[in-house]
Amino acid sequence: MGYSGDPLPQPTPIDPLVPYSIRLESVTLVRGEQRVFDGLTLSLDEARIGLVGDNGAGKSSLFRLISGLDQPQQGRVVVHGCDTRGTQADRRQLSQHVGLMFQNPDDQIIFPTVAEELAFSLTARGETRQAARERAREFLAERGLAAWAGRAIGELSQGQRQQVCLLALQIGRPATLLLDEPFASLDLLSQARLATQLEEATSQQIVVSTHLLEHVYDFERVLWLEQGQVRADGPGHEVCEAYAENVRQRAAAERGAGRA
Amino acid sequence: MTTTGSSITSSRSLSYIALFAALMAVFGLIPKVDLPFGVPITLQSLGVMLAGCLLGPRRGFFAIALFLLAVALGLPLLPGGRGGLAVFVAPAGGFLFGWMFGAFACGLLMRRMAGATGKGLLAAAFLSSVVGGIVVVYAFGIVELSLIAHMSLAQAALAMLVFIPGDLIKCGICAMLVQTVMRGMPSWRLDRD
Amino acid sequence: MHALPAWVKLAVLSVCGTLLVLVERPVHLGIACIVVLLLFASLGRTAWLRVRMLVGIAIGCALIVGFHWFLGTTALGVASALRLASAAVLALMLTLTTRFEDLLAVLEAVMRPLQRFGVPTERIALGIGLMLRFAENFYVQWQRLDDAYRARAGHGGGLRLLAPLTIRTLQTAERVADALAARLGR
Repeated sequence: MGYSGDPLPQPTPIDPLVPYSIRLESVTLVRGEQRVFDGLTLSLDEARIGLVGDNGAGKSSLFRLISGLDQPQQGRVVVHGCDTRGTQADRRQLSQHVGLMFQNPDDQIIFPTVAEELAFSLTARGETRQAARERAREFLAERGLAAWAGRAIGELSQGQRQQVCLLALQIGRPATLLLDEPFASLDLLSQARLATQLEEATSQQIVVSTHLLEHVYDFERVLWLEQGQVRADGPGHEVCEAYAENVRQRAAAERGAGRA
Repeated sequence: MTTTGSSITSSRSLSYIALFAALMAVFGLIPKVDLPFGVPITLQSLGVMLAGCLLGPRRGFFAIALFLLAVALGLPLLPGGRGGLAVFVAPAGGFLFGWMFGAFACGLLMRRMAGATGKGLLAAAFLSSVVGGIVVVYAFGIVELSLIAHMSLAQAALAMLVFIPGDLIKCGICAMLVQTVMRGMPSWRLDRD
Repeated sequence: MHALPAWVKLAVLSVCGTLLVLVERPVHLGIACIVVLLLFASLGRTAWLRVRMLVGIAIGCALIVGFHWFLGTTALGVASALRLASAAVLALMLTLTTRFEDLLAVLEAVMRPLQRFGVPTERIALGIGLMLRFAENFYVQWQRLDDAYRARAGHGGGLRLLAPLTIRTLQTAERVADALAARLGR
């Protein structure tokens, strides 16, 4: 499902030779008392990347670094040519290249109707209200969701609200989408819908962090994070199997220890 | 490791400002006691004190200002469903402006005493609330009342005296809430400018 | 009157408000007041629903007059009251006949020239949107806390929930701020 041509101003063009490029160079991140990352170096160029690992391993922190919400104490993070420690203007550029979706849609939706929420993504970049509203309607219509334009957010189910969050990010056509545990609170049907939506976003890089391994099983690359370090890095099915096996062993060990 | 920086228009500041403006709105929806001169005795002055104590002078000021802007645009956010420009002209209008500066004064004082903990924090918050939420607010209300209703300052002040006890209770509630917030969110800073 | 553009109504309101302040004699003010009330009545059903708001204004006026009568400056009191009533009813009519969004749009237009002085007009509009969203959210959060309390205590929490609610909403504000910052870059 391609996008129709649109009159919106484009963000700065990304180097066509390396369309997606996220680089972490010797990044050290400290939050409060805890050293989250220590000299982490990573390069994320693939179109579909999964991120798995226990809670507290640093998955969310990694997303915050890439989106520019947090800056590293040491090292640098360069996303599509923008350094996250750059100026205010750089960070604004960055927000056009990277979309970050948090787990709870209620923390992200601001406006009362779907069309307004989508339009906001555009007015925030300087579009006029008129143009933004029209573009929002078109965008919804392209996806067969024209009926959603005037609907109140409060009427939508959790899965639908999550969809609206995703749409609000996609309408800005960021090069990269970071999704933090997007499947966690969805029912099976909504999970399937979201998975389909992600498949169809062929012109974007998508990085998904999740506990539901089946959704990243087929990804070309999955990273297993453990305490701020990359424990495994490879094709989806391999890393998912390895991680699942590791968890089984740990759980079995805890059960055994309990009985002894 | 800064997030969005502490400028007054950053997303973080804006979010907190909007939150306390919303708190004022919600307090307005709780039914009020009807009193003479149309003076509102409501939970909203509690909102003023909380905004001042927890957000500091500048953000507290803007939180109330944002709320008043919404009221001016016609949203029925004052008790009894009142809103629109009419309320600023009414006898109680002075209090509304007083709220903004009351939050500012409350925050200014709280910031001075930001290092306090335990009982000291309770006292600091109470004192800040009294100065900001009562002294400053009433100063504005009394002046405006005397101007609009052509009363002398003394007469207007006398008329307001009866509401002080209720407001003192609110100062107490504010102090307790501030203490609870600091316990539940130890990383919350009371020394913002 | 509903059909008039918002800015026209606002401009008329400002002019009338200024005139009211300049007029002194109770007789003139009385005429003005009657005219205004007739306009109000002409709104038809909309006005009728909001008659209660008029009552509040009326009480305020009565008290002002009473107070001045007590002091012997009745004429002054009457003038004050009439002025107040006229201004208040005019403003009320503006509110009743204009959509919130239209007023917001006028506000943005009026504020635009201030942008060159550094006034962050879009942030203000965004702030109002956030405020409404948070206000709605308070109720939901309260419900959730109440349910959790009920499940453990067997009865509602009431004002005891005020403290946890405050903390909960502060945390929500942080998350909303993050999502917004990620979206806007600042």
